[in-house]
Amino acid sequence: MAATTVLPRPKAYDDTFWKPISLWLTTTDHKLIGIMYMVTGILSFLIGGIFALIVRLQLAQPNLKVVDAETYNQLISAHGVTMIFFFVTIFLTGIANYMVPIMIGARDMAFPRVNLLGFWLVPVSIILYYSGFFTGGALDAGWTGYAPLTEKAYQSHSLGVDFWALSIIVWAISGIMASTNFLTTIIALRAPGMKLTRLPLFVWAQISTSILLLVVGAPLAAAMILLEFDRQLGTQFFTTAGRPVLYQHLFWFFGHPEVYIMILPGFGMISEVIPVFARKPIFGYMSMVAALFGIVFLSMTVWAHHMFTVGMNTYVEGFFMLMTMLIAVPTGIKFFNWMATAWWGSIEFTVPMKFAFGFLATFLIGGITGVYLASVPVDTQLHQSYYVVAHLHYVLFGGSVFTIFAGIYYWFPKITGRMLNRALGEWNFWTLFIGFNGTFLIMHTLGLEGMPRRIATYSNEAWAATNLIITVSSFLIAFSVLLFIINIVSSWRNGEVAGDDPWHANTLEWATTSPPPPYNFERVPPVRSFMPLRDLRDSGELEVETSAQPAPAH
Amino acid sequence: MTNGPPIYFGAVRLITRSLVWLLGLLVAAISLSGCGIGGLSPIFPEPVSPNGSDIYQTYIGISVPALIIFIGVEAALLWIVFKYRRSSQPAGYVPPQTHGNTQLEVAWTVAPLIVVLAIAVYSFVELQRDFQPINNAAFTVVVSGHQFGWNYTYPQDFTIHQDGTLQGEVTPFVVPTNTLIKLQFEGTDVIHSWWVPAISGKTDAVPGYDNFSWLKIDRTGKWKGECAELCGVGHSTMQIVVQAMDKSDYDSWVNEQLAKKAAGSSPSPSSAPGSSPSPSS
Repeated sequence: MAATTVLPRPKAYDDTFWKPISLWLTTTDHKLIGIMYMVTGILSFLIGGIFALIVRLQLAQPNLKVVDAETYNQLISAHGVTMIFFFVTIFLTGIANYMVPIMIGARDMAFPRVNLLGFWLVPVSIILYYSGFFTGGALDAGWTGYAPLTEKAYQSHSLGVDFWALSIIVWAISGIMASTNFLTTIIALRAPGMKLTRLPLFVWAQISTSILLLVVGAPLAAAMILLEFDRQLGTQFFTTAGRPVLYQHLFWFFGHPEVYIMILPGFGMISEVIPVFARKPIFGYMSMVAALFGIVFLSMTVWAHHMFTVGMNTYVEGFFMLMTMLIAVPTGIKFFNWMATAWWGSIEFTVPMKFAFGFLATFLIGGITGVYLASVPVDTQLHQSYYVVAHLHYVLFGGSVFTIFAGIYYWFPKITGRMLNRALGEWNFWTLFIGFNGTFLIMHTLGLEGMPRRIATYSNEAWAATNLIITVSSFLIAFSVLLFIINIVSSWRNGEVAGDDPWHANTLEWATTSPPPPYNFERVPPVRSFMPLRDLRDSGELEVETSAQPAPAH
Repeated sequence: MTNGPPIYFGAVRLITRSLVWLLGLLVAAISLSGCGIGGLSPIFPEPVSPNGSDIYQTYIGISVPALIIFIGVEAALLWIVFKYRRSSQPAGYVPPQTHGNTQLEVAWTVAPLIVVLAIAVYSFVELQRDFQPINNAAFTVVVSGHQFGWNYTYPQDFTIHQDGTLQGEVTPFVVPTNTLIKLQFEGTDVIHSWWVPAISGKTDAVPGYDNFSWLKIDRTGKWKGECAELCGVGHSTMQIVVQAMDKSDYDSWVNEQLAKKAAGSSPSPSSAPGSSPSPSS
């Protein structure tokens, strides 16, 4: 590195992972903030997973008393809130925070200090939520917190609901900050040559996600504020005497797009991983982008499909049914384009590619069961049963979590400079794939047999065997996650040194060092297509860019 | 770029194998014992009411394209995995660098569109058939959900209290066979959802909101269900039992209830505890 031409490199960056605490607390570097988001997300994943394991123990057999009904209701609520608000969304914000500026050839996010504040609101939100456990009991009405069950008349014994509502308001503000920042960064800070039509699909996915969160974050906060008015000021918005269904409209106007906030970045990661390991360009770039925006639009017109049993006019229900089913079209476009990308490819089944294909195989099931659920008559049977629990885990776990694993195995070398252990990664994938399907595939049938979700226990002996298989499988998932954590920790310290571009990838983040310097690039490489790095490799210009910086020595 | 397995890999292998074996043994034991197969049905219980059978038929109708698409796409994925992996390709194979194909992309936009439109129309027809308000019912029963139980008020002005419990069976909601009965739902505290899978789908009992369903059971018998909307600590106790009787049995049952009500009417303890939760606020 020519020390005279670049910004001075802080000493801390050349150290190991244990950089000085003050640096972490005050950094505005999008990469460090991204790492903090991701670590927060993974820790939440572990906590939410422990909640789920206790729930599975309680349901392993009929009439068990591992926990009482009140604790059970708090556990299922905490599992949902933790996984949705504090794991998937936060982790995906983190990985985008790290990757988006580098992928578009920027030095940092557009508003680094907003980024700093946005991140630090997340621990505030998390601490607020868990405070409920120490004030007489946390939220116990499910992650959706349907009123009037959350109203003072039925929850006077604790402050759990208040802490939850405040936590979600803070979370929504943080999300709105991050979304504004992403959109500004992507619009304003692109490198020369990085036209919108050359943006990596992961960046396009982040644009669509940010638009969604920007639109739906405020109604969520509004619902929580009105709920707090009810609880603390005695208003009657959602009480028994008020309009409980209004709460459901407000909540699901956020809640359904949130599903896409949690999956679109995953779609983006899959769109990055499949072309790299199939050695083919993404099939149908423009239709991939169009499909993203089709999903953004449609996802805001489907919320009431969560409410088909409250008794709406059948024409209103028909509208929401139609819009919901139409989402299958843009999702189908993306799915077939991924398959066409891999078709005739020369596919190397590395761990990220395995997770990408695991995602395709399982997400398909979630997509198909979604069409059943969209059909109003059929939904009246499936709604609020274990069929829905199975469906939502196929899209959220088989969908989002598998893409997150694909993204981690793909980008870990860039973030840390070291490869994740491949052998452990293979075991991580297969145990997760078997454990996941063992847990959730037969859950569909429990719902069809009449087992409602969120029941603390059951007396029907016919459900016992199925529930036992589910519980054992869920521990296989837990074991798999343990392997993953071992892999992360040991590889971060002792993994094989990755080099700048271990996968022969297509996008700009692989043109800089691993990990990248604070300013990301000494000189931003020229961008001539949506695969700038491949262009450089093909034209022989790459050596100049990368040879300067060997992987950091320790 | 393969790196070697870590030292503790023997342990990883051992734990994984034991968990997978445990799972396999469990599945084998359950299928061999033949008794625990319940809970593994690919479809709802056999419906006993026409709206339930229509939903059942709709489910089967959607399953035809769904299964074709599921099997087709998963097979194509397996084909990709085995056919196009680098080790099955000739050495030095360079994939065609296609960027897309407009005809193909239009095809897999239009084809799913046709399929989902067909499913939507098919479902909407069923929605219009069985989910419209009815006015030809023989009589109406008011079903009221509360924490934690159901009250059924008959036109003869007596009320059956189906109080929630997990010990044994709850008091049945009795109906005559082959009679179209309208169920009028009321919520008195929080939201509950009335669900007996063998009869029909769920109907929510929302405070301040009119909601209805109907049933016309074609045989005598008893069917179980549960509250399907989380309503508090006693949610899982809100069991439902519906009992269908022949017309004559039903009439004598009604007379029995009326006699019971008359006997207990002077001190009026007919409303059991928990049946009069006045809406708060």
